[in-house]
Amino acid sequence: MDKVGGPSVKPYHPDGLWQMTMGGGQYQVGKGDDLYRRSLYTYWKRTVPPPSMMTLDAADRSYCVVRRQSTSTPLQALVLLNDPQMVEASRHVAGRTLREAGVGTERQVRFAFALVTGRRPSKDEVAVMGRLMDEQEAQFQKDLPAAERLLKVGDKPVPGEHPPARLAAATVLAQLLLNHDEAVMRR
Amino acid sequence: MNCSQVDFRMNRRDFFGRFGLGLGGAALSGLMAQDARAAASGPFSGILPAGHLAPRAKRVIYLFMSGGPSQLETFDYKPELVKRTGEDLPASVRMGQRLTGMSAQQASLPMAGSIFKFARAGQSGTWISELLPWTAKVADDLCVIRSLHTEAINHDPAITFFQTGSQIAGRPSFGSWLSYGLGSANHNLPAFVVLISKDRIDQPLYSRLWGNGFLPSQHQGVLFRSGREPVLYLQNPDGVSGESRRKLLDRWAEMEHLQHRDLGDPEINARVAQYEMAFRMQTSVPDVMNLSGEPESVLDLYGPEARNPGTFAANCLLARRLAERDVRFIQLYHPGWDQHGGLPGGIRRQCADVDRASYALITDLRQRGMLDDTLVIWGGEFGRTNYSQGKLTPTDYGRDHHPRCFSVWMAGGGIRGGVSHGRTDDFGYNIVEDPVHVHDLQATALHQLGIHHERLTFRFQGRDYRLTDVHGNIIRPILA
Repeated sequence: MDKVGGPSVKPYHPDGLWQMTMGGGQYQVGKGDDLYRRSLYTYWKRTVPPPSMMTLDAADRSYCVVRRQSTSTPLQALVLLNDPQMVEASRHVAGRTLREAGVGTERQVRFAFALVTGRRPSKDEVAVMGRLMDEQEAQFQKDLPAAERLLKVGDKPVPGEHPPARLAAATVLAQLLLNHDEAVMRR
Repeated sequence: MNCSQVDFRMNRRDFFGRFGLGLGGAALSGLMAQDARAAASGPFSGILPAGHLAPRAKRVIYLFMSGGPSQLETFDYKPELVKRTGEDLPASVRMGQRLTGMSAQQASLPMAGSIFKFARAGQSGTWISELLPWTAKVADDLCVIRSLHTEAINHDPAITFFQTGSQIAGRPSFGSWLSYGLGSANHNLPAFVVLISKDRIDQPLYSRLWGNGFLPSQHQGVLFRSGREPVLYLQNPDGVSGESRRKLLDRWAEMEHLQHRDLGDPEINARVAQYEMAFRMQTSVPDVMNLSGEPESVLDLYGPEARNPGTFAANCLLARRLAERDVRFIQLYHPGWDQHGGLPGGIRRQCADVDRASYALITDLRQRGMLDDTLVIWGGEFGRTNYSQGKLTPTDYGRDHHPRCFSVWMAGGGIRGGVSHGRTDDFGYNIVEDPVHVHDLQATALHQLGIHHERLTFRFQGRDYRLTDVHGNIIRPILA
């Protein structure tokens, strides 16, 4: 999203979380572009801050912080692997990869890796990612409805130009990359 | 977090980041020693693997009665107050105590005795109200403290005070301190789990009540909810099978190892360990939440509500299951105790919600031999006034917030059972014997867990913080 400014937005949010602690108030998930703004624009409720941000060490606004904590927790893994925001973003990376990288697994994994990390992968890395693509594609080929379901996560319509098993496998590849040390850790 | 193994192949930036601040060789060897200790204990261990003293309790189940239950209808028997019902609260008793805005403007403050009867229970003869007949059956396991007092007069600061030792938000929660100090004894579940009764919210519970504050975020309390997804983001995305996820994690770990080979940053291995725990949680959490394996006799012990997910009874049973799996701190909240008006009806309902399940939890823990090393705490954030807020009638009245005295009970974990500690005056307004401050309760609970409350600290913004701030005295007479 290149848009700057505007009112706060409400991206994806677990069902019923507000009611659980506040006894009222309904979180109305936003639509369209509102789902994809920078987190700077995410609506913030002091009593129930956005849970994925809290899990990823956002300061809870009760006190001043000069520097964010840096931690590793299992809940962070769950957010980065399962939050629809992340799954949909992975599918988006996958779509771009299949569209722009050209044909062939090696080209595609090289492209996706460079897109996420900003460098070229080593031979070993290409081999691991290639194996992942093959495994996942074979699995989704056996269960095409599963591939379709994965591709339906999130609001953005899926362009129909790619075979579902391939796009689903590339989505899992993108998940690997968006969880990769180089994409997550700041050094 | 601390690294999971000693790693001498730190990268250049990591090396200078850690040693480039003018530290000498002595500091370096100290740091290596620290890493070696962490290596000995693994990624889920606390900073005090052995504690400070021999622990009497391994874990805490805290039954938080959010809203402020009236002590006068539950555990603090005041026959004199009943006799004086309708008389105005004497200034000599009130002694200038501030009132909340809700009753400060009343023309009179008519004293109101409990309309519920009290009787002695158990061998110990503990006074307990007729609203808690099941709790009365385990009176000899309970240490009822009738002389709790707090500094806060409104809900959020008062709950925050109990949970974090400070009325001002932002300090780590009790369970977070415990996780930080003692680490996790179970590598499939978080060390600090939170359960909230459904449908009883009257005052807000802020998620920062179980927040890690300035401690590392792996110590934050994890809210378990009833329903399809007990922990947020626990389920794989739609269409992703367990096998697909397992293979993704295997390939991902290979990538991380390649990365570690190049960079040597120990944090990479720490993350791999956390992802594996997340994967295990996807099985272990639904497993602990699934009550279908519990025998009928146990479900019956907790009462019919135990079969209704999200109720206090179901959560008490879950608390026992979590305790069995060595979760360190299990925090329940049962809201709905804020009876400013219509108190008799409200408190009758609230007591019915918690009475049988509290009894069942104690009984169940005792039968399994777990009461000895599980500390159970029951209580709210403050008490209620001895005068009626709003109109006093023979059958109805309300009570405002009262921080000067209220009742809390503890059981198990090396606390003496069948004890009543502390005494309030005949009006049920002031403490006359053995006052217990919130920090005293916290210091005592930590003591039972083998932690000296003055020595579990964390440096933040230039000073050492602790749960009991600069206060806290252990309540020696109630220790077994």
